[in-house]
Amino acid sequence: MNIKSDKQHSYWNPYLGGFLLGLILIMTFFFTGRGLGASGAAKAIVTQSVHAIAPTHAENNAFYADQFLGGKVPISNWLVFEVIGALAGAFISGSLSGRVFFRVQHSPKITARKRLWFALLGGALFGFGAQFAKGCTSGAALSGMTVLSLGGYIAMLSIFGGAFLFAYFFRKLWL
Amino acid sequence: MKEEIFISGRNIPHIDPHLAIWEFPISLYLFLGGLSAGILLFSAITHLLNKDEELKGASKWAPLIVPFALAIGLLALIIDLGNPFYSWKLYTTIRLESPMSWGAWVLLIVTPLSILWVFSDLRKLFPKLNYSKLPFLFKVEDFCVKNKRYMALALIPLTIILGIYTGILLSAFNARPLWNNAILGPLFLVSGLSTAAATIILFAKSAHERHLFSKIDILLIVIELGLIIHLIMGYYAGNEMQVEAVKILVGGDLTTLFFGFFVALGLLLPLVLEVFELMGFKVPVVVPAILIIVSGLIFRVLIVEAGQITRILY
Repeated sequence: MNIKSDKQHSYWNPYLGGFLLGLILIMTFFFTGRGLGASGAAKAIVTQSVHAIAPTHAENNAFYADQFLGGKVPISNWLVFEVIGALAGAFISGSLSGRVFFRVQHSPKITARKRLWFALLGGALFGFGAQFAKGCTSGAALSGMTVLSLGGYIAMLSIFGGAFLFAYFFRKLWL
Repeated sequence: MKEEIFISGRNIPHIDPHLAIWEFPISLYLFLGGLSAGILLFSAITHLLNKDEELKGASKWAPLIVPFALAIGLLALIIDLGNPFYSWKLYTTIRLESPMSWGAWVLLIVTPLSILWVFSDLRKLFPKLNYSKLPFLFKVEDFCVKNKRYMALALIPLTIILGIYTGILLSAFNARPLWNNAILGPLFLVSGLSTAAATIILFAKSAHERHLFSKIDILLIVIELGLIIHLIMGYYAGNEMQVEAVKILVGGDLTTLFFGFFVALGLLLPLVLEVFELMGFKVPVVVPAILIIVSGLIFRVLIVEAGQITRILY
């Protein structure tokens, strides 16, 4: 099999991708009895790391403590496995379409370094937001909406509404 | 502490109930030992097959890191000792029944051999090197080049012993049920060879060499997966202590690290990516190679740690 260079930018149709994501969500509910999540995995890893350094602090801190309830190990949370699977799947999918290589996608008007700094900043803000909302786009918004949770709808509207508003101020990073 | 006058089986400082004695330096050493053994083994085989020029990464470049890796590993080993200044006492005796004695002696031979092995090719790799101020080095180089074949013949058994001993060292502990499994020795050897093949992939100087070591690595990962299945089966077929001990890896505290990070991200994913690479898909080989190397370290940290958490039931 040969690599086709014209495949480098060939992505699936986003609507098809979205439809499949919905099916995955249904299957997740079917198999695990709960929805998807991503930030939960990050939280589990952070909690476990804090626990490795300061066990008493982690077990008594309100933010971390509930992850230890009933002798649970935060990093054994199934979300960690889910994210590992997503990572592995992404690599496999990327390799099949010849898109696994190192690059920083950014607007021609900004440098790669600037792009990475803003990505870090944005990611950190999203991390804070996800913890305030008790879930991220997948955990709070997507999974919440599928069970018709009002919180899920508010989260989804706020994430996309907030992004829509902020996009105006930061448009120069992309245009 | 005067161990000879203890009369109780309990509350002996540093022996019982204090079972966690070995920390990260030991895991690091086991990792670097296995990696060095693997690289030297591949390098020696390459030399004996007269493929030095064809496989420069394996024969000349990758071995460059071995003396450093062994030095760091040995330093870590000595730092971890309670009385580092007594480490020379290991060399006052040869005990065939003690894996630690085997390891100490093999390292004493392999470490200088690795330096001579690298030295024999050093000027070919760095032509600007000039020993004119230290002319005796020319003689040493001549000696190394002339005797390279003998060095290779000696390195093959020695590196296999070194690689396998890192696992036997753990499995010889009867009191740690998770370590007390005969598969651990071969598993550490294969894992060391696999991390070595991944390192050689990073140093490979041609696509031919990269693909050859990818194939070798694929084979090693498959063997490693088979050994892991046997390892787990061995615990379940063992006594109650082992059945209890394996719970830490299957459904216990270290499950995510073992199955998530080591087996899935460290073995299965690189296996798939390397197969894809051989099939012609575009995969930067550095990704599977680094995953394998990092997971090799995780595996050792995990086994050293888990073995000391689990204990004989009483």
